[in-house]
Amino acid sequence: MGALTDKYCIVGVGETPHMRPSNRTTLSMACEAVKKALADAGLEPRDIDGMTSYQAGDSTTSNHIATSLGMQLNYSVDILGGGSSTEALIGNTIGLLEAGYCKTMVIFRSMNGRSGRRMGGQAPSGPVPPTRAAEDNQFMMPWGWTSPAQRFGMSAMRYLRDTGTTTRSLAEIAVAHRYHASLNPKAVMRHPITIEDHQNSRWVVKPLRLLDCCLETDVSACLIITARERAYDLRQPPVFIMGGTGRTMSPNAAWNYSRPEIHYVAGNYGRNRLFGMAGISQKDVNLISCYDAFTFTTLIQLEAYGFCGKGEAGEFVKGGRLQIDHELPSNLSGGHLSEGYTHGVSMVIENVRQLRHRADDACPGWAEGKHSYDRQSSCRQVKDARIAACLGWGTETMSSSAILRGIAA
Amino acid sequence: MPGPIDYSKITITPDFDTAEWWMGTKEHKYLARQCKDCGHKWFPPFPACNKCNSMELGWFETAGTGVLHSYIVVTQPILGAFVEAVPYVVGLIELDDCHEADGSLVRVGGVMLDDEEDVAIGLPVTVEFEQTNEANIVVPRWRISGTAENTWKFRE
Repeated sequence: MGALTDKYCIVGVGETPHMRPSNRTTLSMACEAVKKALADAGLEPRDIDGMTSYQAGDSTTSNHIATSLGMQLNYSVDILGGGSSTEALIGNTIGLLEAGYCKTMVIFRSMNGRSGRRMGGQAPSGPVPPTRAAEDNQFMMPWGWTSPAQRFGMSAMRYLRDTGTTTRSLAEIAVAHRYHASLNPKAVMRHPITIEDHQNSRWVVKPLRLLDCCLETDVSACLIITARERAYDLRQPPVFIMGGTGRTMSPNAAWNYSRPEIHYVAGNYGRNRLFGMAGISQKDVNLISCYDAFTFTTLIQLEAYGFCGKGEAGEFVKGGRLQIDHELPSNLSGGHLSEGYTHGVSMVIENVRQLRHRADDACPGWAEGKHSYDRQSSCRQVKDARIAACLGWGTETMSSSAILRGIAA
Repeated sequence: MPGPIDYSKITITPDFDTAEWWMGTKEHKYLARQCKDCGHKWFPPFPACNKCNSMELGWFETAGTGVLHSYIVVTQPILGAFVEAVPYVVGLIELDDCHEADGSLVRVGGVMLDDEEDVAIGLPVTVEFEQTNEANIVVPRWRISGTAENTWKFRE
């Protein structure tokens, strides 16, 4: 067990709708997300004295939010990063709270991910205008190898070859996450899909089809973290942080492609740290969020974090194993594939709601933890949800994670 | 064969660590970084040897040959320069002469001159150099150069 296991809690969560486009600033959206998380926790702006965020040069900063909402922070840092930053910042936050830099802290991401700066760099309307190939990009961009789909596609192709996995296994993930989105009123894509729908969707970059790729949305999402003694007095059942990792690297992290196996991803190097700190095993986990920038990133992380053996994920996901009421429900909100794209925060938010037993679904009593578990009536609460693993993904060579525990189930 | 690539829409900006590599392509050399102290080879040209930490570095002129380790087929252009090029194949090439005793190796990316139907993992490839229409930049590209046993091709 880690020295700080269960000592800090996620006490508030909030987000804007997923919009395409928002027609708003990242500052305006972030203020809304922070206000919602404060209301969720039963806190006031003056109760927040620390704030941190991540961005890709595409967002507002903590001091603009603090100014807008009348906060004076004792600690504020905004970092660069995309996927895998959420869980890494949870780690930072625990350290800062423990050290006394501040007492109650906000983590946020705000992005016009569809109407503003899109991942991979293309303009909102299509391919990018003239651009600069600098630094590492000198050895990718001039050969038309830039977007996340193109980068991860290279590893996915070799994985299919090395393991004999077919794209029907990728389809299982798209179908599972979409099914969960169909139970989520907030999700952008709610119409259920089949494996055949996936197989018939158009290519983006082989071996990845359109339904292998996440959405792009304009959104802000926010978490609030404080010490458990404080958490006990707040509005929601606390969700305890049992352990985590922050941007754990594989060897040769800035150039995945010269490693012996380009699909032996960073989670393999973080897994023992994560479960060791949390003091549990994979078998204790009731649900996961498994970063789904692409179906492939979910697939490969199941192996990396030890939920199945190496090369076995393609079989593991078959038969709906990642769907609610099955063995390892994944991305209950629909994830980035089907709910919307927040660079990871929304996946942690969903796990928090599940562990509170307060998934915000169609059940009239969800806010009091009353659920029907009737999927026909669009209940998406996992029965007996007690422990959730958040498996973040930055690249093949960079991964963050967190294990959360609830007390409400 | 990819369609035309409009290099006027990409400004390649060689820097302190990479300028000599781009000079090499003008002489039709595919270079890898090499440590003058321990002989280790790597790419892209990070500015220190990750085996012995020396910063006394030179260049190794590779044979410009390798084996296709993986590939993608881009059907949707992201960059303006590649709008006319789709569909095109990007290969990941394991260079023949950068293998070291401890297992370290060098793989590089590049546009394949071959069509998707002619590409398979495991095939030998060789580099060709293309003068772009822009500012003295010469870009390496790759072509299948032979046959091999136990190749693998993506099937839909």
